[in-house]
Amino acid sequence: MSDSTASTIRRTSSKPKETPEQRARKRKKQLTAGTILVVLVILLGLFIQTQNPKGAFIWIIGIALGYTLQRSRFCFTAAMRDPVLTGGTDLTKAVIMAIALSSLGYMALQMKLTGLSLENLGSETLLDASKLPGNIRAAGVQTIIGGFIFGIGAVIAGGCASGTLMRMGEGFMQQWIAIIFFVAGSVIGAVLLPIFQASPILYQKAPIYLPQLLGGWVPAIIVQFGLLFAIYVLADWYGKKKSGEL
Amino acid sequence: MGENKKYPFHETFLKKEWSYSTGAVLLAILALALVTVTGSAWGVTGAFVMWGGKFLQLVGINADTWKGFNGALAKYNFWKDQPAITDTGIVVGALISVLLAAQFKIKKIKSSKNVWAAILGGLCMGIGARLALGCNIGSFFSALPAFSLHGWLFWISIFSGAAVGSQLLKKYFM
Repeated sequence: MSDSTASTIRRTSSKPKETPEQRARKRKKQLTAGTILVVLVILLGLFIQTQNPKGAFIWIIGIALGYTLQRSRFCFTAAMRDPVLTGGTDLTKAVIMAIALSSLGYMALQMKLTGLSLENLGSETLLDASKLPGNIRAAGVQTIIGGFIFGIGAVIAGGCASGTLMRMGEGFMQQWIAIIFFVAGSVIGAVLLPIFQASPILYQKAPIYLPQLLGGWVPAIIVQFGLLFAIYVLADWYGKKKSGEL
Repeated sequence: MGENKKYPFHETFLKKEWSYSTGAVLLAILALALVTVTGSAWGVTGAFVMWGGKFLQLVGINADTWKGFNGALAKYNFWKDQPAITDTGIVVGALISVLLAAQFKIKKIKSSKNVWAAILGGLCMGIGARLALGCNIGSFFSALPAFSLHGWLFWISIFSGAAVGSQLLKKYFM
């Protein structure tokens, strides 16, 4: 009955408990609203399709991402925060799982383009790795500074980028405020970025692609999956130690 | 518990929470489907910059001439911006999820501490995501699995940031 414990923790309200009739009415109202919303989503999808040839597909993926994030209470922030704050690593392990699975997918997509021994990389059709599927972007001091500031922000605000959006849908007022300042911060960041880019110490502009850096797909696969596996084992051990199982 | 038995379909398909592993597998599949079909990976915050710039234009500040925008605002179209569509989708998808589970509830702000947390946290995330060229999605979930070193660097740094953030949270925002 972990479900019912979780929901009592989440909803500590001082209001008197609602009667069964009230609960039935609320449930009917919400189900009706949800159904109407699904219809609206389909209609909006048809509209988006008129604006963007892949619009409806992107829209449905977005809806499915939101639905999945909410149903599974998947939270990247908690995956980073909980090991330090509570010692829990269940979400951390889930994130590693998601990353390992995605790595397999990206590997297939990219290998098709680069060739098994990266022979196509640097050719006319595939100038550099940043043209490959996935975000292969500049790696450097800016990544570390940005990631660090982002990590602080995500924990304080109680949700990262995807988490903030998900919690907005769940009805959290705090995240509706956070998004306004997230947007404002993005503009500040967009102003700061060119200043960083002007400094050779603060900004390194080269994207670094592991198969290229390590000299081929085989070492890249060993390093990528080896590290992910090692971190998973470490997270598992740490979680068990903290919960007293070891 | 009697109530749950009354609606077995609702309980099983709409109300039951999914495991983290289910979430992980589905997120990976959805993100891969997106990049396979459209060619561009899942991103979130790229759209936020443009919305901010558009807002500035609306109040009479032409941010488009700034170095950070460089004319991108004039060409911007919400419905052609993949992150803008998926971002909206995530909010609506989560709302559908809680409504169909009959668990929607407006969670009001309890104290001014929460407001400050949202303001400072939001600002930090915005600035950080721009500098790192992406957020926990663009510079992590769509980067690390794509064998980009910046995804690994982002992971190390967001983890350290989260550790510092946890201390700040305990000290000032709880």
